Amino acid sequence: MEIQQTAVAGTMESSDIMVTISPNDGKGMEIDLDSTVEKQYGKAIRKTIEDTLKELEICHARVRAVDKGALDCAIQARVKAAAYRASGEQAYRWGDAVK
Amino acid sequence: MEMECGAPMRGSRLDATKAFLQSMELEYDTGAEYTVNFLEQDRIVASGSLQDNVLKCIAVSDHCQGEGLAARLVTELKMEGVRRGRSHLFLYTKPEQRRRFGSLGFYPVAQTDHVLLMEDERDGIARFVSAIPKTRAKPVGAMVVNCNPFTMGHLRLIESAAKECGYIYILVVSEEKSTFSSGDRLRLVREGTMHLSNLCVHPTGDYLISSATFPTYFIKEKKQAAAFNSELDLQVFAEHFAHPLGITRRYIGSEPFCPVTRRYHQQMKEYLPARGIEVIERPRFVVDSQAVSASRVRLLFSQGRMAELRPLVPDCTFRFLQGGGGQ
Repeated sequence: MEIQQTAVAGTMESSDIMVTISPNDGKGMEIDLDSTVEKQYGKAIRKTIEDTLKELEICHARVRAVDKGALDCAIQARVKAAAYRASGEQAYRWGDAVK
Repeated sequence: MEMECGAPMRGSRLDATKAFLQSMELEYDTGAEYTVNFLEQDRIVASGSLQDNVLKCIAVSDHCQGEGLAARLVTELKMEGVRRGRSHLFLYTKPEQRRRFGSLGFYPVAQTDHVLLMEDERDGIARFVSAIPKTRAKPVGAMVVNCNPFTMGHLRLIESAAKECGYIYILVVSEEKSTFSSGDRLRLVREGTMHLSNLCVHPTGDYLISSATFPTYFIKEKKQAAAFNSELDLQVFAEHFAHPLGITRRYIGSEPFCPVTRRYHQQMKEYLPARGIEVIERPRFVVDSQAVSASRVRLLFSQGRMAELRPLVPDCTFRFLQGGGGQ
């Protein structure tokens, strides 16, 4: 999947994460994270974001994320939603099921 | 809590928004394109607006602090900004609110006594400027130009500055609020200065004379001299451009026509020398006892008076205008 435009998903409310994904002109993955739990989970959150994008076969993306203590599953969902919107892709793959 | 929005707010909702902001010691910006309010029992308790790529007029009433309303406002405005295709967003707030918006993914760019400018990209401006080539030559000069379009006046000023400086940066305004597109303006400056070797022509991005740093520059017609303030813009220039690029001189052409530009130049002379940047003003290039200006070129172009226009512009601009001016 390829990122075509900037798109957002999520909110900045408590227990959520706001993810903005933009094209990165073939410069790989860049993640800009701002998290209330950066010290404890910063690394893990970055990894979740990266793995979720890899799963969608996205290699080049600029991600800006503002995390307010979201759980892993919420992070994955927000990243996927933003990625689908940013790529214009309509065939959603949530988990293993292809719709 | 209810939410209302308007693109822009109108009628009684606009009046209510203005009254709420006033009670929070903020002024509604008439340029706002989109406003979102949160209401409690029909009373506005939080408000925020979007204009171009800037989130502004953001206020949360005191008794609702700590309920995450600022986060909801910023979320809504960010979504709207992205819906409108604005991927890099800025925010204006009061300097004492730095931490609040810092926790909402906004990072400081510049600050005056009254306004703090933030952007939604960490080190966005530092990254932007670090992509501009550096030089060891000295002294280093700079010009910030719109070149709408590129004239003989611009060219002569650039040539004389290039002669006096070891290296010169020509920063071409990127904001798309001019007759000619930023791509065309930039290309013409590059083409017309190819004979000079000690210069770098670079776009200003979102950072100089832009909606974010200097919104009033583009509302010249309204003559809002009172609302006019270029301090943020000059601060961004001094701190984020001049300092890392080693710029110690800023060149300007004297401004006989436009009051906004004249005021800008005046503030520049008050502000930049104190920050180690000399402001060098040169008289306008004159053709047939008339100062060359881009506005005159635009006028002649719109009237199809190509022969009169010919001596006022370099070859590349003339060819471009002959070809229709990118229209």
